[in-house]
Amino acid sequence: MPELRMEGVSFHNVLRDITVAWSGGSLIGLIGPNGAGKSTLMRLAAGIWVPTGGRVTLDSRDVHRLNPLQRARHLTYLPQQTFHDVAYTVREFVAMGRFAHRKHWQERVHALRAAGRRAAVQGRGPGGASGTSRQLVEDAIAAMELAPLADVPLAQLSGGERQRAAIARCLAQGCDTWLLDEPISNLDPYYQWDILRRLRAMAEDGRLIVIAIHHLELAAQFCTELTLLHHRTVFAHGSPEEVLREDVLAAAFRLPIRTFRDPHTGVLRVSLPPRPAR
Amino acid sequence: MLRRRNPVRTGHRRRPAAGLAMLALALVVAAVLEVSLGPVTIPFMQVLPKTVAYLRGDHSTAAVVMGAIRWPRLCVAVLVGAGLAATGAVLQAVFRNAMADPGVIGVSAGGSLGAVLVITAGGASVHAWAVPGGAFAAALTAMAVVYRLGTIGGRTAVHTLLLAGVAVGSLCSALVTLVLSLTPLETMQQILFWLMGGLDGSTWMSAAWLAVSVAAGMAIYMAHADALDVMSIGEEQAEGVGVPLQRVKRVLFVTAAVVVGVCVSISGVISFVGLIVPHLVRLWLGPRHRSLVPASALGGAVLVVAADIVARMALRPVELNIGVVTSCLGAPFFLYLLRRHAVSPWRSA
Repeated sequence: MPELRMEGVSFHNVLRDITVAWSGGSLIGLIGPNGAGKSTLMRLAAGIWVPTGGRVTLDSRDVHRLNPLQRARHLTYLPQQTFHDVAYTVREFVAMGRFAHRKHWQERVHALRAAGRRAAVQGRGPGGASGTSRQLVEDAIAAMELAPLADVPLAQLSGGERQRAAIARCLAQGCDTWLLDEPISNLDPYYQWDILRRLRAMAEDGRLIVIAIHHLELAAQFCTELTLLHHRTVFAHGSPEEVLREDVLAAAFRLPIRTFRDPHTGVLRVSLPPRPAR
Repeated sequence: MLRRRNPVRTGHRRRPAAGLAMLALALVVAAVLEVSLGPVTIPFMQVLPKTVAYLRGDHSTAAVVMGAIRWPRLCVAVLVGAGLAATGAVLQAVFRNAMADPGVIGVSAGGSLGAVLVITAGGASVHAWAVPGGAFAAALTAMAVVYRLGTIGGRTAVHTLLLAGVAVGSLCSALVTLVLSLTPLETMQQILFWLMGGLDGSTWMSAAWLAVSVAAGMAIYMAHADALDVMSIGEEQAEGVGVPLQRVKRVLFVTAAVVVGVCVSISGVISFVGLIVPHLVRLWLGPRHRSLVPASALGGAVLVVAADIVARMALRPVELNIGVVTSCLGAPFFLYLLRRHAVSPWRSA
């Protein structure tokens, strides 16, 4: 099971002294006010940005020392939704997750040098790596129940369907560690719930899934652990019960947010303060 | 905002292989017309025999026209069209901008400035390659300046790069105008002739230079076809699936600049090919660069060859400027398609 550790990580004046360890089998909710540095932390964890201090390690290897192709075989990063104005079909988009697993031409050259002509030629045949790749793409599409939409261009999908396609893309990439930046923002309640349900199930299969999330109540219900960023550092970390305390939330979000157990179902509820009387 | 002709969501299969075959066929037809039509008309059936005769040392008019004028002109037209259109397809993905074409990185305007300066200094009479050489050197200089301006802290930001390219391009154009206004009349004619662009004076030597650079450029573009697919979805998406983004952008930018630099220094600025052809091909065959780049190259070659035929034949014996023809034929056709599909080419299926 994967383990992602941050030890004393800082980044310019955005983050300072972040120390946290996340391990497989959990759905981590990264919460905090706007501008707390959630997206920055995601990019540092993904190895896209290099920390100005401290280390980020995945299974005790420095993440930013890996080259992009190696990194993408262990860890996938999904940015906040800003794209999808494009003509690629769902299947083509999901297949992009296999980018790091294709035989790239540099590797073909290495293979040629190492094992002679035959090895390089075998790698590209339909029965070779690309054959299983195609199967993984189809499996990912089926797992996200997107089969009827597989040939539809992304531009014609609803926001929720696109997000499902994006999750299928992560699934096709076949990594154990997922970093998703605000995967449920801009979705309607059904798709918020649907996406989180699926992510939770996939985390329970042994993956480490970290999501930046603003919806505290859904975070409380679906995440196994929460990390609260505030004042440029980790303000609180632990189970939802430990993090979602009224004093902590009041300090971080500048609002008297109430938390309580639902008397009927026993689940943790988060309640915003009522509209102020005029 | 944008109406869709068909509100029902449809998946349809695209046939890139069939499209490529059709484009190749169109190119063969256009090529045969190009070599046989002109002031000296050579019947189709005579094309091959006269070419062979020229290679055997026959110096009759028809053989020389065929071997020393028409064939090099055809080769240059094909290669320039292919190079510009393929580069346009690549730059549209790198910049994630539907307006991107080989002109936006400032290379064409830089090349023009270089050529104009060499002509003004009297370099044209020194050596046949002085003007193209100057144009190429200036094109690469413009590219280096734009790249330097667009790179901050080792990361190249495409928006900064795009704006830097436009700004450097306008500066070079302004300097060209300045030089033009200061030169005597006969030099000015020479400069205008170069600026308008064209395939006159194509030689086997220029075709060879083009062949080498366009072939190398195409190979590099094709090696990055998958990366270009992800990059046109978004840079962060590309980093998420493992594209070495900074290196890929650097390689593609330099390749594009060299290809465009060679094209511009040999044929001048042929407008519109690099913008319109990739959009047409994307509408027709879909967005995957594995087919988009070669199909754009073929489409660009067909467009330039066809435009050259029209330019030479339409108002005989006056020869039109080929850039005027590509724009006059291309723009209305493009607008017709744009309206018919009623979606932007960027998002159509």
